[in-house]
Amino acid sequence: MSTVTRNLRVVRRMTAADIAQQSVYRGAWIIFMLANITMPIISLLIWRTALASGAQLPVDERYVTTYFVLLGFVTMATSSWMAGFLAQDIRMGKLSSWMIRPASLLTGFVANNLSEKFLKLFALVPMIGIVWWIFRDSMNIPAGPGRWVLFALSILLGAMLVFTIDILIASLAFWMDDVSALVQARVIIASVLSGAVVPLALMPSWSRGFVDHQPFRYTVSFPVEIVAGQLTGRELLVGLGIQLGYVVVFAAIARLVWSAGIRAYSAVGA
Amino acid sequence: MSTLDRTWWHKQWRHLRLWRRFFAQAVVRETHFRAHFLTTLLVGLVQLGLGIVPTLLLFGFTAEVHGWSRAEVIALVGVFQIVTGLMATFIAPNLNRMTTYLTEGELDSVLLRPVSSQFYLTLRWINVAELTNVASGIVVLVIGLVQAGIGFGPGQVAQAVVLVGTGLVLLTAVWSAMSFLAFWLQSVNPIGFVFLNLMEAGRYPLVFFPAAVRTFLTFAFPVAFATTFPVRALTGDLGWGTVAVGLGLAVVAQGLVRLLWRRGLLTYSSASS
Repeated sequence: MSTVTRNLRVVRRMTAADIAQQSVYRGAWIIFMLANITMPIISLLIWRTALASGAQLPVDERYVTTYFVLLGFVTMATSSWMAGFLAQDIRMGKLSSWMIRPASLLTGFVANNLSEKFLKLFALVPMIGIVWWIFRDSMNIPAGPGRWVLFALSILLGAMLVFTIDILIASLAFWMDDVSALVQARVIIASVLSGAVVPLALMPSWSRGFVDHQPFRYTVSFPVEIVAGQLTGRELLVGLGIQLGYVVVFAAIARLVWSAGIRAYSAVGA
Repeated sequence: MSTLDRTWWHKQWRHLRLWRRFFAQAVVRETHFRAHFLTTLLVGLVQLGLGIVPTLLLFGFTAEVHGWSRAEVIALVGVFQIVTGLMATFIAPNLNRMTTYLTEGELDSVLLRPVSSQFYLTLRWINVAELTNVASGIVVLVIGLVQAGIGFGPGQVAQAVVLVGTGLVLLTAVWSAMSFLAFWLQSVNPIGFVFLNLMEAGRYPLVFFPAAVRTFLTFAFPVAFATTFPVRALTGDLGWGTVAVGLGLAVVAQGLVRLLWRRGLLTYSSASS
């Protein structure tokens, strides 16, 4: 059996087990998702007020509304929270027991990521549905399934991108004692550069070249932009190409750093 | 009244002295962790800078929203930073532990002490480093006020200070009530996230929200008393009426939280014994 199929099977089994385990905390997931959509709703209300009181934005009300309604979903779907945990497993020597197992420690984190997102969906989708219904008159809904397919594809790529960035940061724990400051820095920088706080379309024009091409745009903003509008067919294809490129580049670097780390690993507690 | 205190006033005085001890101990503790102080300061400054980004962008597209200029909203962000800094210093380190207190049975040892258990659980731990965010908030507030060219008298300052105080009491009451649900729910860790995310609404003036949301942010989740009303008091378009309403609400909220705490204690059956 090839390594890929074996790993996929391991991930599938671990995901199923994780779902069973995590569904104990159903109430907590609902509360978490409530927190997740609070910020987008606050931003939505603020920017709609600005538009209504005559602010000259480069985007219209429909764009802003669609953007913030979908934002909570996309940030959840592409998120990763493993950097701190993985760094801890490396530092505390939990990695050791995985080195003799027929699968990577990372499969456990993939399974955890997938299972939690699966459960969060059940809490989040109804909430987004309600907000969508409230603002239904000013939502941009693309005709035809084409854009939705690309939306889904782009979310998948975005999730892979965030996950690899997290592996990269956590891998530094092979050499550093404490990566929590780096993890925190990543979260803070990403919140602005990914478009999770303000739509990147509203960033000042002098920053456009940088903002449009930096990797964090492809973790949240780009998938949302596909549905919210404005992207031409060409921009869409170029964007997806850049996104795929970033995934490949970051995956390659993460793989390099991870394997270098494994070699440097000295098994604390063994 | 317990035998420790002759009157109700003696009891309050004893708790105040105790709290001074907590604070002194927290300061001594902080001097042992200077790196923690520095990272808290740095993270606080970066968060302040990024938190102001939406406001700056917004006022790049318009000069005024519902009567609020850019400078006034910056002053508001300063007040928000002061309030969140104070909450993070005195309240958050305690309420974030609520789940542990209840599920690990730590509450047992608190109940045995000759001290009000609600007081102890809400105010025992202090994160002194977060006070740096209060300092940076004051700087932002002054910048905003100077830019807006607002002149105010001592009466308005008094109004603003009292309003921030009632805002803090009200927000603490709401967060406590949410945390005390741990008596029935066992785990309330995610509730802190909901609270902090809702707090973010305080970055903006109340009139930026639709009418229904304004009511919610004034009476249900009263962040308006902590940020919008103090700034409006400084700009001089708020009477003592609002201050009185705030004080009244604060008293009522404290009473309700006290009631909830008593009810919760009745259901507590200890975790370890």
